[in-house]
Amino acid sequence: MEQLPQMRMHRPATAEEAVALHAEAAAARYLAGGSDLIVNVRRGIEQPEALIYLNGIGEMHEIAESDGGISMGGALTLRQLAENEILRRDYPAVAEAAGEVAGPSHREYGTLGGNLCLDTRCIYYNQSEWWRATNSYCLKHRGEICHVAPGGKKCFAAFSGDLAPALLLFDAEVELAGPDGRRRLPLAEMYRNDGLDHLTLAAGELLVAVHLPALPADVRSGYAKSRVRGSIDFPLAGAAVRLSVKDGALGDLRVALTGVGSWPFLVPGTEKFIGGPLDEETSAQLRELVRAKAKAMKTTTTAPHYRRRVAGVLAQRLAEGLATA
Amino acid sequence: MKTILSVTVNGQPRDDVVPDNMLLVDYLREKIGLTGTKVGCDGGECGACTVLIDGRPRHACLTLAATCQEARIDTVESLAHAGRLSAIQRGFHEKLGAQCGFCTPGMVMAAEGLLRQNPAPSEADIRSALAANICRCTGYVKIIEAVQAAARELAS
Amino acid sequence: MNDISPVQTIGLPQPFVDGPEKVTGKAMYAADFSAADALVGRILRSPVAHAKIVSVDTARAEALAGVLAVVTGEDCADTHGVLPIAMNEWALARYRVRYRGEPVAAVAAVDEATAQQALALIEVEYEELPAYFTAEEARAEGAIDLHEERPGNIERDVHFDLGDVDGGMAEADLVREMTFQCAEVCQAQMEPHAAFAEYDTARERLTMRSSTQVPYYVHLMLARVLGIDKLQVRVVKPYIGGGFGSRTETLQSELAAALLARKAGRSVKVVLSREETFITHRGRPESQLRMKVGMRKDGTITAVDFEAVQRGGAYSDYGIVTILYAGSMIYGIYDITSARFEGYRVLTNTPPCGAFRGHGTVKTRFAFESLIDDMAIELGLDPFEVRRANLLQAPTMTENDLLVNSYGLDECLDWVEQASGWRQRKGKLGPYRGLGMACSHYISGASKPKHWTGEPHATIHLRVDWDASITLLTGAAEIGQGSSTVMAQCVAETLGVDMGRIRVISSDSALTPKDNGSYSSRVTYMVGNASIDAAQNLKAKLIEAAARKLEIAPEDVECLGEVYRGGQQDQGLSFDEVVMEALGGEGTLTVKGIFDTIPESWGGRKYRGAAIGGTMAFSYAAQVVEVAVDPDTAEITVEKVWVAHDCGKALNPLSVEGQVQGSVWMGMGQAMTEETRLHDGLLLHANMLDYRVPTIVDSPPIEVKIVEAADPHGPFGAKEAGEGSLSGFLPALTNAVADAIGVRATELPLTPDRLLDLLEKTALAERAGGKEVA
Repeated sequence: MEQLPQMRMHRPATAEEAVALHAEAAAARYLAGGSDLIVNVRRGIEQPEALIYLNGIGEMHEIAESDGGISMGGALTLRQLAENEILRRDYPAVAEAAGEVAGPSHREYGTLGGNLCLDTRCIYYNQSEWWRATNSYCLKHRGEICHVAPGGKKCFAAFSGDLAPALLLFDAEVELAGPDGRRRLPLAEMYRNDGLDHLTLAAGELLVAVHLPALPADVRSGYAKSRVRGSIDFPLAGAAVRLSVKDGALGDLRVALTGVGSWPFLVPGTEKFIGGPLDEETSAQLRELVRAKAKAMKTTTTAPHYRRRVAGVLAQRLAEGLATA
Repeated sequence: MKTILSVTVNGQPRDDVVPDNMLLVDYLREKIGLTGTKVGCDGGECGACTVLIDGRPRHACLTLAATCQEARIDTVESLAHAGRLSAIQRGFHEKLGAQCGFCTPGMVMAAEGLLRQNPAPSEADIRSALAANICRCTGYVKIIEAVQAAARELAS
Repeated sequence: MNDISPVQTIGLPQPFVDGPEKVTGKAMYAADFSAADALVGRILRSPVAHAKIVSVDTARAEALAGVLAVVTGEDCADTHGVLPIAMNEWALARYRVRYRGEPVAAVAAVDEATAQQALALIEVEYEELPAYFTAEEARAEGAIDLHEERPGNIERDVHFDLGDVDGGMAEADLVREMTFQCAEVCQAQMEPHAAFAEYDTARERLTMRSSTQVPYYVHLMLARVLGIDKLQVRVVKPYIGGGFGSRTETLQSELAAALLARKAGRSVKVVLSREETFITHRGRPESQLRMKVGMRKDGTITAVDFEAVQRGGAYSDYGIVTILYAGSMIYGIYDITSARFEGYRVLTNTPPCGAFRGHGTVKTRFAFESLIDDMAIELGLDPFEVRRANLLQAPTMTENDLLVNSYGLDECLDWVEQASGWRQRKGKLGPYRGLGMACSHYISGASKPKHWTGEPHATIHLRVDWDASITLLTGAAEIGQGSSTVMAQCVAETLGVDMGRIRVISSDSALTPKDNGSYSSRVTYMVGNASIDAAQNLKAKLIEAAARKLEIAPEDVECLGEVYRGGQQDQGLSFDEVVMEALGGEGTLTVKGIFDTIPESWGGRKYRGAAIGGTMAFSYAAQVVEVAVDPDTAEITVEKVWVAHDCGKALNPLSVEGQVQGSVWMGMGQAMTEETRLHDGLLLHANMLDYRVPTIVDSPPIEVKIVEAADPHGPFGAKEAGEGSLSGFLPALTNAVADAIGVRATELPLTPDRLLDLLEKTALAERAGGKEVA
């Protein structure tokens, strides 16, 4: 029998109740699917004393069109997102990203909120307690050194959620419930490029929902990821692309990446392609731009330069496919 | 720190006191003695512990038992009726979808989850549905044949 | 009555006799056992890679409430190991630790939490020593010895020079040399190691249920390490969740559970985590190979000159055998006379390697089949042509004295060439697509057991009682490979009875005859033959009884399996009636069957260790692999594999197919995604995410053709089926990649990042005007 720390389970019925419980308890963590959190608890990375189980919060399971866009509860499962007709029709990058996470069983219980708030990952961090202790821990957890870049004082653990880049394409906003009430925040502002502390959420803040605004006409999107195996693995690099084409010219072009830095981000500089065609030359330029912005570090056993290069290739191919679709 | 867990396990309603930190796989194996569900990794990587919760496949090794309140849990032990193998079990047995048998309970339950949703899966559907379950013996060829045989049997 | 005939079971697809338990969840694996008094056993592991153990203080752990026993190296009566000449491992480290994660102490406590707490209370003082994580570092001048009796950290060096290698090279039209680098791989069987030890304090008896392929070796080592008589031990093999060689020796999990159970006087269960299972390792070593071949214009091979260096890990283990196989198995597949080999098995501060499916042969085959493929192309020959130019003619003895009595490689080649559409499709698949092929072979058990005792290689007992059921008692370990089914088939076929009459009891030392275990593909051949022998002995007794009852001469009894009769007009006796007659005056029938190898198969004496490779029969395989390569991401997709395997008579074709598919696929994992990685001797890959076993979506269709070049001594003509087609996949893949994109991969696994580097290096070299890339 596996020994987990003593924990008390709470089952709030509303987001506000969840936030209040979180504030009262010491060392509390929100628990939705648990596909990431429980692994980390088993490895001794997380040692919560209280778990606030979110499954009973009705609004976090809702998905509905609103203001021409769509609102999605944070406890929706990845499978529900992948199968959702509205997402598949209007925001295919989001549905595709949801359908690419881990493996089919993980998507049955892994959630939208969980994937967006996924802890950053590193080969020196996602190891057992014995392993990390033996290796003198690391900057991200209990240690002084970064084994990825010894001597540095920055943690390079990689953000590896698949959904975030897809949602960033559409200016998604997250709805947060916290001790001071609710607020909305652009998803892009929920992250910072710091493997140690990549979420800007305040203590006890809960991701209740994600809102996608109405979509301009003719926008196409898609998501693709690279991994060694066709299932289960986290992305070595993931790219989401959104574009529109009018009269042979790009009317819009956005690329967002995951897996190649401590945060998911929109690649700056893609606007320079707008107004021109996506031809062999410009698509190669796009690939190089993306490659240059993908700052993968040695956080997996796969070589970082490969992950940078493949990020560019993924973006280029998606763009080419979408432009000619 | 403890929960009175009301669940239906393999069709049998039951109430058990479980610690809040108890994994579902430990509840099944240690608390109620259903050792058919296997542990092959240290968390969510191999699929050997796959069970159905409300008809959907899920890793029992990353699920806390206390989150299964009012749920219907089906394990590999639920499938054979009156000593007769289910179609999927027969498929795995007769087509040799099981060699060492250790991944089999999880594999069988993932296949059960698939056929409940999609009784006539294509080969691609089978591959997608079993993609979180690792087998080290078969190369998966005969596992695909086993699920296909089961689907055929259920259709006839 | 006239249409009665013996029941046929051999050659027909047979689902496994122990299959229903596996698909229903009733099968009990080691971790599924429990007892009311059972304690949780946990192992303390060394945080350092190489150190003297100055002291181990267990006092605080022992004082903790709920702790029933703490054991250390001091509790071990002796070392253990799998080769009698190289037993240098302690169950719990004594004097020194030699790799990170090596067991140092173990505790048994009432629950997991207490056991965990107790581990933290054990104080070990280490005095660190320099540690070597590569063969090169360990062999370097000035490196200290891991083991005093192994100077220079060489576990074993092997040298042979047979025929006339220099002459052969001189008369060749083409001589080429390449070097290869293969990563270490691990079996990663689905079941983590587990051991359940029960100790009977009143009688001082130990019962062990553990996840092992070799219950007899476990029995031997339990007695040795606990310092007790072998009659005080009983080993029961439960269901086993795969092995592939990782369990062909006694593991520390078993020894620790036993030591704890004795000390606590209670049952102890030790279940390793997946991480600990990876640390326990016993996989295939990281190897460097240099291979040089001389070839005539027609493709015939004139000489082979090669060298292998293996990073063996911290203890001897199977190392001597592994490095010997790497050399000897250059022979036995093609008509090669002259070959020179230098092999070095090196001790390093890494988890010990062991015997992995295809033991010792895989990387030699990879190097050889890669090199001759390139040479074929250079000579303008088809890869099939080159192989055909070098076929053997059975029966024959190889230059290193290996007996080849049956040989179906030519037929394997014909089938895969035809089935894959090689002649029509090769070179016409379009850009970035390719076909590659390779051949391979493997032994059907080592003809000289490593524990030579003078006993037969295999012994089977059959028991028949008043219910007319036949109980087959075998020490051979059913580990998922289907050995119990094959043995039941052998007995059923010999007697002509329905398999439903036969119950197999596999591996309980209190009931079943001794067997060396399930490794080196020995079981079908050796234990199958013993099963036939036992069934024949039983049949003779039954015929004698039937003759008595029918009042005719035994030679006039016609045995139809379920009916014994005197002639066509005779109503005959049912099997039950014959059994009842046979029991008269004698009681329960017990008969025995044995098998021994013939001296011609014992391997040679031309160099030290030349017996390794000696076998009664070789299996042969050929395969064609079709790939598509993505030129931008360097991802390889295996579209399809066609494989033909000569296993002699296929006793259970369903199982043969499953074994061949599993072998090819395991070769694929090694070729493409699997490798161990170390960070200062600490395993980076010790989980099922970072050790990348292919998933179902990565796995191709594998079409199998069974070729039956019957072996004169095999059971019904059968040979090996479960290992021989593994090694061929590696070169067939890289040959296919070379066909697709024109680059020769010499480093495995060929992950996308490695292939991309290779592509970029090749492009650079081409731009620079160079032709070849080393």
